[in-house]
Amino acid sequence: MAALSAIAMVGNASLGSPSNCSAVLSPPCNVSAEKQRRFSRSRCFFPFVASVLETKNEAEKYRKDKTRSVLNNRRRPSITSVVTNLSWCSTSSAAEIGGRRHGAYAQGASLRDQAEASSVSLVSPSTPDLFLLDLASKIEDSLAEGDDLGNDVLARLREEATEATLGCRWPTNKDEAYRFTDVKFLKLANIVPVNSSSESSFNPESLNLPESEGSRLVFIDGVLSKTLSRVDNLPEGVIVGSISSIPQEAVRKFVLPRLSGVAERSQRDVFACLNGVGARDLVVVIVPAGVKVTKPLYVLYYSSSQGSPSSSSSVASSENSSYALSNPRLLVTVGKDSELDFVEDFSGAPESLYWSNSVCEIEIHERGRVGHSYVQEQSRHAVHIRQTYVSQVEASSYKLVEAVFGGRLSRHNLHIQQLGPDTVTEMSTFLLAGRKQLHDLHSKLVLDHPRGISRQLHKCIVSDSSGHGVFDGNVRVNRLAQQTDAGQLSRNLLLAPRATVNVKPNLQIIANDVKCSHGAAISDLEEEQLFYFRARGIDAMTARSALVFSFGAEVLQKLEGAGLRKRVESLVKNSLAEEGYMNPELAVTI
Amino acid sequence: MAATMLPAVAAVTRPAISALQHQQQENRIRKTDGPAAQSVCSSSTKLSTGWRLEEIGTCCRNAVKNSSSSSASVYVSSTQQQKGRRGLATWATLTDAPVESEQEKVGDVLLEVRGLCAVVEATGKEILRGVDLTIHQGEVHAIMGKNGSGKSTLSKVLVGHPDYVVTAGTAVYKGENLFDKEPEERSHAGLFLSFQSPVEIPGVSNMDFLRMACNARRSSLGLPELGPLEFYGFLSPKLAALNMDPSFLDRNVNEGFSGGEKKRNEILQLAVLEADMAILDEIDSGLDVDALRDVASAVNGLRKSDNAVLMITHYQRLLDYIKPTYVHIMEAGRIIKTGDSSLALQLEAGGYQALKDSA
Repeated sequence: MAALSAIAMVGNASLGSPSNCSAVLSPPCNVSAEKQRRFSRSRCFFPFVASVLETKNEAEKYRKDKTRSVLNNRRRPSITSVVTNLSWCSTSSAAEIGGRRHGAYAQGASLRDQAEASSVSLVSPSTPDLFLLDLASKIEDSLAEGDDLGNDVLARLREEATEATLGCRWPTNKDEAYRFTDVKFLKLANIVPVNSSSESSFNPESLNLPESEGSRLVFIDGVLSKTLSRVDNLPEGVIVGSISSIPQEAVRKFVLPRLSGVAERSQRDVFACLNGVGARDLVVVIVPAGVKVTKPLYVLYYSSSQGSPSSSSSVASSENSSYALSNPRLLVTVGKDSELDFVEDFSGAPESLYWSNSVCEIEIHERGRVGHSYVQEQSRHAVHIRQTYVSQVEASSYKLVEAVFGGRLSRHNLHIQQLGPDTVTEMSTFLLAGRKQLHDLHSKLVLDHPRGISRQLHKCIVSDSSGHGVFDGNVRVNRLAQQTDAGQLSRNLLLAPRATVNVKPNLQIIANDVKCSHGAAISDLEEEQLFYFRARGIDAMTARSALVFSFGAEVLQKLEGAGLRKRVESLVKNSLAEEGYMNPELAVTI
Repeated sequence: MAATMLPAVAAVTRPAISALQHQQQENRIRKTDGPAAQSVCSSSTKLSTGWRLEEIGTCCRNAVKNSSSSSASVYVSSTQQQKGRRGLATWATLTDAPVESEQEKVGDVLLEVRGLCAVVEATGKEILRGVDLTIHQGEVHAIMGKNGSGKSTLSKVLVGHPDYVVTAGTAVYKGENLFDKEPEERSHAGLFLSFQSPVEIPGVSNMDFLRMACNARRSSLGLPELGPLEFYGFLSPKLAALNMDPSFLDRNVNEGFSGGEKKRNEILQLAVLEADMAILDEIDSGLDVDALRDVASAVNGLRKSDNAVLMITHYQRLLDYIKPTYVHIMEAGRIIKTGDSSLALQLEAGGYQALKDSA
């Protein structure tokens, strides 16, 4: 209650300031009147910068102007209204929060965090982010040199994203959304946007996914590979392909409505904006009304070795390392009464530095059903940042199963927006963070309509002292979302001393007739389960092995396709065996 | 006193055993506490001994009162009708009083619990206060008792549950001290507990779990491990015996199982492990009539002359299906009364109070 009144106070204080913001909420909220005025004034510079960007052949001019705009441009003030009567609570919290190991802690949701998470990340009215502007212009340049710029739709997408990017700032640990996730090292590294394709280095057969035969899309460095993709097994009527290759009518009907407001949907996440700036391709999957796709569609992402090799020395000195940046973008639209299962698999050249910055938008219409499997198995030194935006219309169902293994940094922002009643949403995620890995999942489910059902199970294993898991799971049950049934559970297993997880499962409930639960557990394996194994004659070591494996298997069992499960099974076994937590010969399966 | 007496007992025992081995055919043995066992137990045992002696006196033809004999030689000569378990015949088994002679053949002692006391590790609360129990091969024992009397604790202590600490007493299983063994070693030796509420293990399929358990037992016996196909062949008749659908095997261990499915699954594990000493903790609770019949007939099907069953139950109903050789009544951490199956009927009719009054 104390926190609540504090928020109300902050809101009032800001309301009194001479700005056009109804309320500004910022953690160190001491925005002075003077600064507020400067905020407002700075807005007039913004259209100028935007117009400069409108024409591509003025890129040169833009670079010249950049210096000027750096001096003049102020970030557009973020306007957020704080609902002071926000009544939220952590209903029936089944939390058994407690760090049993040093360095591990779980943090309960605090109201400030809530309000912050829902607001746009606020910026101090200082200079805009030089690094970000530099990066954006570098991406622009690389596109100018590259191909496929003729497409209007892509041009519009990039234009809008560029505009949004200028209003962003590179996140730091002062931003709530990046509090535990350090992205500073990317600032020190050399980032090279990929602008040519090297298809030869990837063979989709190497993934050993027999089910993908005849229904797979292959992204190489963010661009759909026409030679590797095969979609002849898809039912009639399904439209699949690059934006430039699909019928204009479909573009008008399905793609254009989704194109604007990208920045708003991603809540001005800087990485989603950068993806828009650098999108060299936009791949579209349209399942028209009434079509049921029986075989899963495989979307394989591959990052080729265009960055510097990730030998230990170059990783150590991050100044010399260069990350090859690719920006794959996928739009999936599933019509009324349609069904689609799709599998996304992210891989990349081994021992190579790259940054895969992908965006995926999924639109599910009335009674549509989407099953989504997501496996990230990129190189241990890679960076994987991902934005998924899902919108669910009435009575639709969305099931996500996610498995994250690779990457030095992996960050997934998952945003699910309910647009009609009676939706079903299931999120099952498993993150395995080993040596020098940070895996971060920020999920947000916004329910605005009655009778939604949601189930979220998040599991994370940290198997090394230098591993780190981050989870922020937000479920927002707004006023009209009566009779919502929402459950959320985060379970974390720390296998090494000083292994760390930061978890924040949180519920915001405004509706008054709902059933919601959330909980978090950070612990070792359960004694009762261990004993059950031993009572059946299985020795403690083997039992631990099996239980560590099963911890992830609970989620991985839900992955689509036997071939994928088999792959993931060996990934988990090898990864855990490497750290000595399980015997790879153990006869357990997913 | 115990320390000085024990070697003497052991010394007398070995010749006595060989001399008396021929007698075992005709002797039905009932045991009461001998002084040796008493002396290593907590003082509370003495009370329970009093109970037992009295009760056995009434129901046995050849009751021998061992009151407080302190002479080891006298004691042994009057009691050594127990078939010895090789050289290891432990002193605890030597203290048996011969009480009953019947025609039917009695197997070896499988499990012998003497003066067992145990506390909850976390709280230090004493649950078992001197339990005495002897189970021979081929026998079926049933333990009944009020809630909280320590029935489930006894079963968990026997299989080595980490929540409990044994503070006094002994348990000898197949001639070896049970408490020296790790839980998995007890399982390898053929001791099995069907849990009252088995834990769910998401992420481990039943098939994998059963195979791991089976192969662990097999490798402890020096047998080759079974591959997936061989194992399935080994398993399917057992599944059929329990009227279980093979789809059971693909599900995760106990995850989302109904009460009945969990119990069936426990008995399936018993069948797979081919245990010699099965402790069944309330396998009848939560079962409908059909499921109870399936489970009971599966248990009966697994009975052999060289294994034994210890059932914990609240209801006579289960005993209609699985006929007990003995029924024990447990109260406040002790077995206070032992009898045949009529005891359960008496209990069903009049409740625990009536039973106590009649005693």
